[in-house]
Amino acid sequence: MKTLTTYFALCIGLALFVSCNDKEDPVANSITLHFNNTFGDETIVLGDAISATATENTSAEGQIHHFSELKYVISNIRLIKADGGEFPYHINDLDKGATVVNHAKPQTLDYVLSNIPTGGYKQIKFGLGVKQDLNTLDEVRFPKFYSAAGENDTEMMWEWGAGYRFTKIEGFYDTDNKELSIHTGSTVEGEEGSYTQGVDAYRDIILDLNTNAVVGSTAPRIIIKADFDKLLSGKTNTITLTTGTGMGDNATPNIHTAAQMVTFVDNLGGDGTSDISGMFSIQSVED
Amino acid sequence: MKNILGLLSIFLLLLSCNREDSIAPEPYDNPEIPLDIPAGFPSLNPAVEKNRPTKYGVELGEKLFHENKFSINNSISCASCHKRGSAFADNEVQAVGVYGRVSLRNTPPIQNLAFMKFYNWDGSKLRLENQPLVPIITHEEMNSSIVEVINKLAVDHVYRHLFMKAYGDDAITADRIYRSLAQYQYTLISANSKYDNVRRNEGETFTESEARGYQAFQTKCESCHSTELFTDQSFRNVGFPVNPSTEEAGRARVTGIPADLMSFRVPSLRNAEYTAPYGSFGQFSTLKAVLDYFDNGVLEADNLDPILKEQDNRIPMTEQEKQDIIAFIKTLSDEAFVGK
Repeated sequence: MKTLTTYFALCIGLALFVSCNDKEDPVANSITLHFNNTFGDETIVLGDAISATATENTSAEGQIHHFSELKYVISNIRLIKADGGEFPYHINDLDKGATVVNHAKPQTLDYVLSNIPTGGYKQIKFGLGVKQDLNTLDEVRFPKFYSAAGENDTEMMWEWGAGYRFTKIEGFYDTDNKELSIHTGSTVEGEEGSYTQGVDAYRDIILDLNTNAVVGSTAPRIIIKADFDKLLSGKTNTITLTTGTGMGDNATPNIHTAAQMVTFVDNLGGDGTSDISGMFSIQSVED
Repeated sequence: MKNILGLLSIFLLLLSCNREDSIAPEPYDNPEIPLDIPAGFPSLNPAVEKNRPTKYGVELGEKLFHENKFSINNSISCASCHKRGSAFADNEVQAVGVYGRVSLRNTPPIQNLAFMKFYNWDGSKLRLENQPLVPIITHEEMNSSIVEVINKLAVDHVYRHLFMKAYGDDAITADRIYRSLAQYQYTLISANSKYDNVRRNEGETFTESEARGYQAFQTKCESCHSTELFTDQSFRNVGFPVNPSTEEAGRARVTGIPADLMSFRVPSLRNAEYTAPYGSFGQFSTLKAVLDYFDNGVLEADNLDPILKEQDNRIPMTEQEKQDIIAFIKTLSDEAFVGK
């Protein structure tokens, strides 16, 4: 009987060793990404056509404009350690690693990255939009993100393209407050690297942190400025808005289409080659 | 000691990490259906090879095609707009979805899709399996979601049984829904019109008007409406009246190329008799109206099709020629296909 008990204990001991999940690196803390949506240095206030409080901006071409709605999708977040190693944050899981920043909802301006390994981080990479392989409106796989994107007040689905909208900006321009409506999203078909048609509106953003974000004893906040002055007055394109149904008109009509969209995409998210930050910059890193 | 080792190994086996049942799928008998490819038709879309129609896949797809549960309020199915009697198009100017919501464009017919390289008027989809999600989620069409659809189907024993027969187990997945719908549509092949009969020397002959129409067609229409599908599957701006919706840009909506602005896929003329009105948003109520428009002159555009530009933006036709061309187009009607 005694031997049997010993064997049993041995078995229990063994069972304890046979754990299903490998233990991850020691984890301690979180990093909060705060998105400060601005025109220049001024945080944007949204407003309708005749709003007296909405933040007004003037483009390089002298067009006054303001926004009534401002949303964009952030995904594919990667943190670069001080030693150069990369920590991907649920990059293949939109439910855990992607968010819709909605300027009208203050709680969406902070995105908390949890269970970040202790250490210093010198750089952050993220996507404006959704990588093509995940951009399939797969509600079965990512119900949480699908629901967040699809809420009536969000409308970040691009039905006919069967993908997500990456940015959605509504507003008004010129002194007579003509409508502006700028939606971006991918229309590509095929595999990444060999698209057979369409426009890839996903942009990878790379930002160096001015001071390392140190995770461990503190939970740092990285303030990311998204300067929407760049929408019309970007590093890549200087854009004049015009309203109409012609090929060059861009304020509302064709903006729902890919025809004029790329110029805005490049301004917001960079052209992917000479400009890898677009409208984004690091404002500060707070301990 | 042997006993101890035995005990241990049993214990370890019990401590298996993956709890998924690895039971092999039930053997099931679901033969492929050979596609009857008409002589002279272009090659199959490569996606067909990866999703060959099967007996029960097609049966399931046909039932799904007629299933109202795809719409938010169980009011419409694919077949509500894609009616067999209209060559799987309808006769609305623009498609009408749930709650009477009107879509951007005219419903395209569903025929010979296995041979198409592009789907939709703007060619936004290249594989038919990628298409069903679009109407399911579009506000003006079914306004639902694939999970909603799956949940509605999952409580129906008939569907569980059909999925079992088609795929070997009764799991109702998004992928299986898309594949079944595509399989059914791949079988919708129309090539038994009078034109086909004449071409195959099966006994019928063109009337004088039809024969003259065929001659005129070859000089006036065939540059675009070519091949046995009666479309060359190119995208062209032919200067039709422009859809006033700010959502419309034609092929440019997809490609982002300015030269594609207001270009649309050349429609097949097979069964055109049944698919009025015509044009991307139903601009023309009759075939005669289309021909009159071409004869009178189309809208100017920078990217207007060169064939039209070379002829002063028009395709001149006499009234007799129009009558004859329409008579010829009607020989492309496949009565068996539309169930008449």
